[in-house]
Amino acid sequence: MKKTFAAILGATMMTAPMAYAADWPTRPLTMVIGFAPGGSTDIQGRVLANVMEEFLGQPVNVVNQPGGGSAVAFTRLKNTEPDGYTFLFGGTTALTFTPIITPVEYEIDDFEYLAAVAIGQNAIVTSAEQPFSTFDEIIAHGRDNPMTYAQQTPLDEAIIRAIADQEGLDLAIVPTGGGGGMAPLVLGREVDFAYSGGTHAQYTPTGEMNVAAFMSAERSPFYPEVPTLMELGYDYSIEDYRTIIVPAGTPEDVKERLMAAAEYASESQAFKDITEGNTFFPVVYIGQEEMEANVRRIRAATEEVMAD
Amino acid sequence: MNFSAVGAAVSEALTLASFIGIGGGVLLGYIVGVIPGLSRSVAISIAIPMTFYMSPFIAISFLIGLSKGTAAGSAVSAILLNAPGEASSAATALDGYPMAKQGKPKTALQIGLIASVLGDILATIILIFVAIPFARVALLFGPYEMAAILAFALVFIAGLSGGNIFKGLAAGGLGIFLGTIGLDNQTGLPRLTFGYTELMDGMPLIAVAIGTLALSEMFVQSEKLRYDRANMSVALKKDSTDRITWPIFRNILPTILRGTGVGTFVGALPGLGPSVGSFMSYGMAQKAAKDPETFGKGNPKGIAASESADNAVIPAALIPLFGLGIPGNVSAALLIGAFAIHGITVGPLLLRDNPELLYSIFAGMILASVIMLALGWFGLMFFAQITRVPPHVVIPIVIFFCLAGMMLQGYGTFGLIILMAFALLGYLMKKYDYSFVTFLVAFIITPMLELNLRQSIILSRGNVAILLDRPIALIFIACTALALITLIIRTFRTDKAAAGAPTSE
Amino acid sequence: MPRSDFWSGLAVAGFGLLALLWMIPNYAGTNPFARMPPGLVPSIGAWAMVICGGIIAAKGLIQMLRAGHAPFTADLHWGAVAWAAWPFAYVAVAIWFMSFIKITWFGAFLIGGMLVLLGERRWWMILGCSVVPVVLLYILSVYMMRTGVV
Repeated sequence: MKKTFAAILGATMMTAPMAYAADWPTRPLTMVIGFAPGGSTDIQGRVLANVMEEFLGQPVNVVNQPGGGSAVAFTRLKNTEPDGYTFLFGGTTALTFTPIITPVEYEIDDFEYLAAVAIGQNAIVTSAEQPFSTFDEIIAHGRDNPMTYAQQTPLDEAIIRAIADQEGLDLAIVPTGGGGGMAPLVLGREVDFAYSGGTHAQYTPTGEMNVAAFMSAERSPFYPEVPTLMELGYDYSIEDYRTIIVPAGTPEDVKERLMAAAEYASESQAFKDITEGNTFFPVVYIGQEEMEANVRRIRAATEEVMAD
Repeated sequence: MNFSAVGAAVSEALTLASFIGIGGGVLLGYIVGVIPGLSRSVAISIAIPMTFYMSPFIAISFLIGLSKGTAAGSAVSAILLNAPGEASSAATALDGYPMAKQGKPKTALQIGLIASVLGDILATIILIFVAIPFARVALLFGPYEMAAILAFALVFIAGLSGGNIFKGLAAGGLGIFLGTIGLDNQTGLPRLTFGYTELMDGMPLIAVAIGTLALSEMFVQSEKLRYDRANMSVALKKDSTDRITWPIFRNILPTILRGTGVGTFVGALPGLGPSVGSFMSYGMAQKAAKDPETFGKGNPKGIAASESADNAVIPAALIPLFGLGIPGNVSAALLIGAFAIHGITVGPLLLRDNPELLYSIFAGMILASVIMLALGWFGLMFFAQITRVPPHVVIPIVIFFCLAGMMLQGYGTFGLIILMAFALLGYLMKKYDYSFVTFLVAFIITPMLELNLRQSIILSRGNVAILLDRPIALIFIACTALALITLIIRTFRTDKAAAGAPTSE
Repeated sequence: MPRSDFWSGLAVAGFGLLALLWMIPNYAGTNPFARMPPGLVPSIGAWAMVICGGIIAAKGLIQMLRAGHAPFTADLHWGAVAWAAWPFAYVAVAIWFMSFIKITWFGAFLIGGMLVLLGERRWWMILGCSVVPVVLLYILSVYMMRTGVV
């Protein structure tokens, strides 16, 4: 992730496979979501399931298997029959990050990464009532004042801690219980700045929150004027792809069918409307070859950051 | 308020389609709530795919109606079977079940229903007229205040457990210990998970609640079948005195109002949730009563306090949701997802961009309460018949639904084993008179308390003087200290009293 | 009931000690950045169990000694124990079954078997009570929640 990643276009040009087993699937499919109902992955997954159902001609049932940020769902997916009837939809963090700090019973090679349909957003936000709004202003303010930061994952904490050390900030970092716990801390100005995995989307239009910088590898199409950390000269980023994942060993023609369904969904207006309009995740289509490489590249880079 | 918008909104809320949608939501929620083992999250997962085919207004009113229905419905199984479907109804069972056993099941159900509906309507009215402009008040409650309130709730509810106070505290200690299992919320490193991936998010609350509340009760009752078969069922007589009367209503009305107030306060603060609300309200009713010793033995005020607060939390949790975009509890977080599927971003934007929809939702919520009253009143006649079913028939069916409920939520075999372990624990606690209420509340509160305490300590950088700028936190710290002192004094008093005579059991 | 107080208090205190001496030191982990180590709150809970369990057991013991209740163990009524324990065993076996077969496929036998064991003999009652909930679950899971057969 130390290089800017410029191949989304290339990926969309990778054409869908020519021939597939048109008779697959013959029975209902199961889409596993590694989070409880109601979160952004769940919303996207349910809409995706509806659209894939149109393409595949069989019901796609959604099953929530919450626990350990999808680690439970991946552990179970590893042990299911690799026939394509059970697949997982979700972010890749449980593969690129969780195994580094926690002992888990699966590895990257246990799965195949068929298609990414949306890109996760990782922003650094502040309250609009603070005397600073851009990331440079935060750093400048922090050189003279003690600052506080609200983290959501150990990864964003590690990055911010490294930047704080580099810039000589006196920074206290507090844990939050996810996006819902972050918002009151920022709005109530209990903390100076915070990590947001998408929650900011509903506070920036009212002007209550400012996005100071993106931790993602690329600027968000929804905030084109906000720079990424890498553009600001800090060599860190967090990448997360919402991907369709099957156990390793799934037959070739089945995978092609699923990828075609994913590509169909990525072009569907309903999926785009909800994913971009409500969860503020840009919709993309990234095929298997590139996703396999992405997952391994992100893992290697994350290991480097966490080793610091 | 824009009156033409309100008029249009109300007229939309009163169409036949919305009537069917909201009524269907309340009915579905009520039925799911009545079945022990199936909880609100099952109801909402049933509902989300159904709402794909509804208009946004109907979909959302349907979901809110559903939440209200489950809150009211879970009182039925709490009162008639002593098997509450959710932790928040556990306080209802404390007085509801004894009352039903005393031959007044209909009165108990009616009190529960009226308290639910009143708590609900009043909290909805507060939500509409007062709360949204003042939603920002919730931001005054930062980590310091939340930690102080949670500590107060923990000590206050621990003081509720009648009987042996040491047994209550021991149960609370177990709840605290088990509540800390799971990934450390800062480092993400496993804590007390013993290497099980399934425990990374902690002991699943659903397994703990269903296990200690509903499933364990089935084992207790199946044991009783051996000794007390003849007296087990709640007798439903053709008794014309078994109904709520005006004096009873007048007697419980102040309790309902207090319960609504507690529920609204708890709901408006993000993160506390309905179980804290219903137990706080129950405790306050007991403290305020002239006859505190009758609580737990079928006092109508106990049912009224718990149910009014449980239901008031649901509309009140929408205060921070609509005002600030922050979900007040898990059900409100589920609603955000449901809103999003319909292309609506909840939060302050809704009031600005789509006020008509918001007013329609309010009208729909009031309609849902009215439907709930009607449905509950007639449903009561039907559900009261459950008491005619002998317990040996009820037990296997409830056990089946407890197991099925865990599978429906996708917890798998590991979840079932945890469910079973907590059923055994609940059985032993009931048998040896350890307060499972204290256990459950400690289990629910501990993770929130630890997070807020940790945030406070880090943000203050260890400087206690920061509390001087935090009057609300100071008040609650004082209350906690007071509750703690009363608890200790009471402990020694009961100790002295018990030293003479053997402990009552 | 001093005797049950004594034993249950002992069990609670024992679990608390186990937690303090073995679980928390080995499994609580560390957090170099927090001012509150991850083991702190579980230790508070464990201490509450040790202290309160100890007090309950001690009080039970004193009462037993005063009343001359020794021996500390009572004759177990095996019939009563077995009656209390069989539902647990029954459900445990059902859970073991559920790791092979979905509950929908054998739920009717689960309910029906327990009904018979609890003394129900009317065949229509057994049939109705065992089939209706399972059908309900099937409709709920397949058509309403769309999670497939559970």
